Amino acid sequence: MLEVNDLAKRYGQVVALDGATFTARAGRIVGFLGPNGAGKTTTMRCIFGLARPDRGDVRWNGQPVDREARLRFGYMPEQRGLYPRMRVGEQLSYFAQQHGLSGTDANAATARWLDRMGLGDRSKSKLEELSHGNQQRVQLAAALAHDPELLVLDEPFSGLDPIGIATMTEVVTERARAGVGVVLSSHQLDLVEDVCEDVVIIARGRIVAAGAIDELKERSGRRHLEVEVVGSGSAWLDGDATLTVLQRTGDRVKLLVPNDVDLDALLARARAAGEVRTFAYQPPRLSEIFMEAVTPADSPVVEAAR
Amino acid sequence: MSRWRSIWLVARREVLERGRSRGFILSMVFTTLIVAGSFILPSVLFGDEAATRIGVVQPEPAGLGLAITTTAAQLDQEVEIVPLADAAAGEAGLADGSIAAAVNVPADLSGPGSIRFDEEPDSFVTQLVTAAVVALRTQAVLLEAGVSQGDLLAAQQAPAVDAVDPQTDADGGRFLFANIGAVLVLVGVFSFGFTVLTGVVEEKQSRVVEVVLSTVRAKDLLIGKVLGIGILGLGQLALFMAAALGAAAVTDQFVLPETTPTAIVLLAVWFMLGYILYSTALGSLGALASRMEEASNASTPVTVVAMVSYFVAILAVTNDPAGPVAQVATYFPPSAPFVVPLRAAFDAIGPVEILLSIAVTLAAIWGLFSIGARVYAGAVLQSAGRMKIRDAWRSGGE
Repeated sequence: MLEVNDLAKRYGQVVALDGATFTARAGRIVGFLGPNGAGKTTTMRCIFGLARPDRGDVRWNGQPVDREARLRFGYMPEQRGLYPRMRVGEQLSYFAQQHGLSGTDANAATARWLDRMGLGDRSKSKLEELSHGNQQRVQLAAALAHDPELLVLDEPFSGLDPIGIATMTEVVTERARAGVGVVLSSHQLDLVEDVCEDVVIIARGRIVAAGAIDELKERSGRRHLEVEVVGSGSAWLDGDATLTVLQRTGDRVKLLVPNDVDLDALLARARAAGEVRTFAYQPPRLSEIFMEAVTPADSPVVEAAR
Repeated sequence: MSRWRSIWLVARREVLERGRSRGFILSMVFTTLIVAGSFILPSVLFGDEAATRIGVVQPEPAGLGLAITTTAAQLDQEVEIVPLADAAAGEAGLADGSIAAAVNVPADLSGPGSIRFDEEPDSFVTQLVTAAVVALRTQAVLLEAGVSQGDLLAAQQAPAVDAVDPQTDADGGRFLFANIGAVLVLVGVFSFGFTVLTGVVEEKQSRVVEVVLSTVRAKDLLIGKVLGIGILGLGQLALFMAAALGAAAVTDQFVLPETTPTAIVLLAVWFMLGYILYSTALGSLGALASRMEEASNASTPVTVVAMVSYFVAILAVTNDPAGPVAQVATYFPPSAPFVVPLRAAFDAIGPVEILLSIAVTLAAIWGLFSIGARVYAGAVLQSAGRMKIRDAWRSGGE
């Protein structure tokens, strides 16, 4: 289990982290979400000792993370980078050996992962001779070849085409099933909702929400309500300040309602207006939970949600 | 995994990646050829110069041939006398180039005679033959006037030649050795030190450094890089020395001093010390830059120090290997790598001084590395523009 405890970090006047705390468990995929500049990359850099926090620490299985522990981590930094003129196979083997694998094991792992990524025949090519998408695959393989116990991926989906995203998702899911803890950051919230079980949302250097996606949805103060009343448009709603209309299409309206709304009363009102064809009460999307979490309390949440 | 394995992996990567690159191999072959060529070429061009053939029309005055060859030998030139049957044979010899000049002097020395050339009179041959003819004719006149043979020989004795500090063949070899040593150290500093610099910038520019540093300590990455490129440098040095010594042996141009093996070891030691000192400085400064052009600017102070040290070594120290400048430069780490092998080649430095100088330089390397590695660690992960040393120092110490 990875524990991030009360991390704080300033760069000059800029506060990058302000007491961030969360955990990532083995076998779970954690979506690490936050607006740009919220502190995601700084947190990841702290995990790998690339930035030293002013306060707080990172623990792995109860012990402070040191170099030995990091050898069992795999990292894909936001700013991708490998040696452009080094051969792909030798490059992967080099990084695997730097993670403690013997030369023989490293070569075997390299061959296995190149095959897995569909690059089995490119082992002798220089990295710069590969397409952008294939370079991304090599970068992922570099994070995986030493069979890490924790995988930290900074924006793994950015710059990938749908096929690349599928491969990435498949590999990450498979690793998690094998018991690997995965922390990945992304701005593609729909993708995160599909891939991740847990999310940690960071804003202004603090964790503003964390937990299983389903639980967060359950806990959210808001619900979606979709109602279709034949022939009445949305006139029957007018005057109710507790309801927010997200969308109107003909007789169909999508509403954002508090989770303590009196559904019976609402349904009765709709019925009074006409024949109710649809009345669907649903939890919010992850993107809405995200917006709710990262928006400062004093600004109008609903406006932002649009 | 031990730190040393990690450092070794970095070093091995450098050796394999750079050692296999076409540019490195080409420059290695090219430079080796130049080194060997600079020994072999002069001997091919000037070593076995053919003797100048001078034709003498018969009958010739007694002793003319001998007088010419004797004078030539004194001037360190080889001359071959070719007897000619008559003046016509001389013309023919000049025309077909078998002789350089045709000399025709009356056998009874009644006149100065003539020297004929094919196209252009050669001043050396002219002076040589003129001196011989004038000497013979003067001798004849004096003998006729009753001057005794003994007095004549006494008057013709050449002045004694001597030198205050006679240069032997070994000295020539020593001088050459010293200068080649200084050049090789300079090459080590510049070509391999700059390889470290560009390597650091490339890693930073391609962002691979973030992946590497997630497992390797920044300090270890710098050590491994300096070490790996240093191994290549040492290999190149060995190749150059082999080429130079081989070429010198083949052409038999110089008598190598007896101290040659010691000098080679010393040169290798100082090559490495100089390289490590300068490449550590260059590597740390390179980390401050985010682009190659910035790196060249950042490295200018180091370049200037290296050049000045080199010139102090080859000008001041060569001129007076045991003088005050040489003494001071021996204990000044940036100049020591150039100066000490030079002084040693001239036999102007004792073992105690050498060891002391090595100790001082090692201490300087350690100090520079402590500072440099911290600056490197602080700067190498910052990708936004050029960094100030002070900021890098601060962030490297966190």
